Amino acid sequence: MSPRLFLQVLSLEARNRLSYRAEFWLNALVGFGVEFAVVYFLWSSMFRESGKQEIGGFDLQGMVTYYLAVILLGKLVRTQRFEGGVSTDIYEGGLNRYLVFPAGYFPFKYAQHLGGLVPAVVQFLLFALVVAFFLDVPPELRPSPTSALMALAAIAVANLLYYLLDYAIQLVAFWADNVWSLDVAKWFVASLLGGFMVPLSVFPAWLVPWLEALPFRFFFDFPARVLLGQIEPAEWARGLVVALAWCGVLALVGRGVWRRGVEQYAGVGI
Amino acid sequence: MIQVHKLSKAFTVHKKDPGLLGSVRSLFRREQVVKQAVREVSLSIEEGEIVGLIGANGAGKTTLIKMLAGIIVPSAGEATVLGHVPWKRDDRFRQQIALIMGQKAQLWWDLPAADCFLLLKEIYRLPEAQYRETLDYLTEVLGVREQLNIQIRRLSLGERMKMELLAALLHSPRVVFLDEPTIGLDLTAQRAIREFILQYREQHRPAMLVTSHYMEDIQRLCERILIIREGELIYDGSLRQVMEKFATHKRITVHLRPDKPVPELSAELRALGEVLQRDAELVKVEVPRADVPAASAKLLQELPAADLVIDELDIGTVIERILSQRAEVPASELPASEPSAS
Ligand SMILES: Nc1ncnc2c1ncn2[C@@H]1O[C@H](COP(=O)(O)OP(=O)(O)OP(=O)(O)O)[C@@H](O)[C@H]1O
Ligand SMILES: [Mg+2]
Repeated sequence: MSPRLFLQVLSLEARNRLSYRAEFWLNALVGFGVEFAVVYFLWSSMFRESGKQEIGGFDLQGMVTYYLAVILLGKLVRTQRFEGGVSTDIYEGGLNRYLVFPAGYFPFKYAQHLGGLVPAVVQFLLFALVVAFFLDVPPELRPSPTSALMALAAIAVANLLYYLLDYAIQLVAFWADNVWSLDVAKWFVASLLGGFMVPLSVFPAWLVPWLEALPFRFFFDFPARVLLGQIEPAEWARGLVVALAWCGVLALVGRGVWRRGVEQYAGVGI
Repeated sequence: MIQVHKLSKAFTVHKKDPGLLGSVRSLFRREQVVKQAVREVSLSIEEGEIVGLIGANGAGKTTLIKMLAGIIVPSAGEATVLGHVPWKRDDRFRQQIALIMGQKAQLWWDLPAADCFLLLKEIYRLPEAQYRETLDYLTEVLGVREQLNIQIRRLSLGERMKMELLAALLHSPRVVFLDEPTIGLDLTAQRAIREFILQYREQHRPAMLVTSHYMEDIQRLCERILIIREGELIYDGSLRQVMEKFATHKRITVHLRPDKPVPELSAELRALGEVLQRDAELVKVEVPRADVPAASAKLLQELPAADLVIDELDIGTVIERILSQRAEVPASELPASEPSAS
């Protein structure tokens, strides 16, 4: 696919999404507030009940900051569901058009996905401003320009990795009547083992090598820690290489699944 | 340009009993049903030809087109379109074909047509000048300039179909598949689309395969037709020949005077031809061409006639007969796969 086509698909999708009404933005803001409040009260009471000063290497303020980072960057990593998703294309026959066009399906969908991310980027910046002005972030966790740049790369890779995982799972629609349960399972595993539900340092020590061997930590834990300046440049570079290798693996899996699936696609919906 | 040899497609469907119990049962034992949608179809289509594909609902027309457009993979047989195997989906192949489905939008619902066309320009890598020129020309001919900036989902069916047609022909394809392009359109719009297709044929000499349930489309567009019944190709030949073969008979319709009782038809009259309909309002018989004068005279003599009409069998009736097996197609007219140079 030519870069021009890629950019055009991306910008069309972005324009389309940005035309949402004000209530969309209001909902996002309220959602963010609620999510954050839940985490805040949950962890305050955990710290109070347990009487501990530190859990998984964070004190209460640090823990809250970690969640702020994860919730914010999670918006840039997670795939936002929309009509033109891969499984919908398969179920409703929207795939047909892409099979007739002389353009690849994956790049087309990825461009759409990135275009759909534009409102999320706006949200991210908006909320980041709110956080910077109104909330009290401990000085040692404040992002420096360097850590912000490093985090940008980590988030971009996390986004690609997450999309590739999502894509491979959505393709199961070629065989299954419904991929909803797989989707839920994916989110559960990714958020638990990826550092969205709890920081990975909270898990018992013997589990940590396992978690580090899996790709999930690159979704949330890794970019959040990079953003909070907890990761040295050397470790950051190593992490990116490993994450990109995982991207390669998932891309190969996705390609294999696609080839098999499209071979027995019945072209429904006409 | 299109060569097809013994192409077949069988769909495997998992049968599911209705209701919750049925769903649970199907978890353990899935019953598979094989549906043979297309059976060993062979044909070939040349440059500049518009071929009509006719058949009842579920006959396998769309399935055949989907295979030739490369959307689905056949279960047996071979086909080449412009020298490519369609379902390998080579970009050089896809660059030169178009698929138009009356039943299903190919364009993106959320975008205005103008944006869709810009995307297609990039997808097909059309040079700016050529794109402008084609787009201007097509919007003019189809008369859709006013609607270019309206979201596809907000267009009327006819307007949308015109946009679909325009979009599909922007890259000047050499092979065009049209699956019910005029479905649901009013007569004016149907005519506009037909005229446009003919005009496109004049200028580009593409190979076109068209399906339609409207006989008017077939009559105006196609010199050659393919008739498909339960997945099998049962006729491949010129439309004129079929009509001539069946034009051996004519139909005589006598409208009866309402105030008179309906008499029995004499044995003599019944021997002349087949009685298709007989009730209080009209009597309709079909008789060999040569017997038309005698039969007409006899009918007028026997019945209290208010009016009498004689007409040729129309193409719809002929096709209907072939499909319902009331007319056998001679073996000599079965698909003749002529070798061709495309
Ligand atoms: N994806 C599919 N899965 C299972 N069976 C299918 C599928 N698509 C078509 N069929 C079956 O194959 C047969 C042929 O269908 P097809 O859509 O080709 O008919 P058609 O000639 O286009 O009919 P129509 O005039 O109604 O459009 C039908 O019996 C249909 O039920
Ligand atoms: Mg059909």
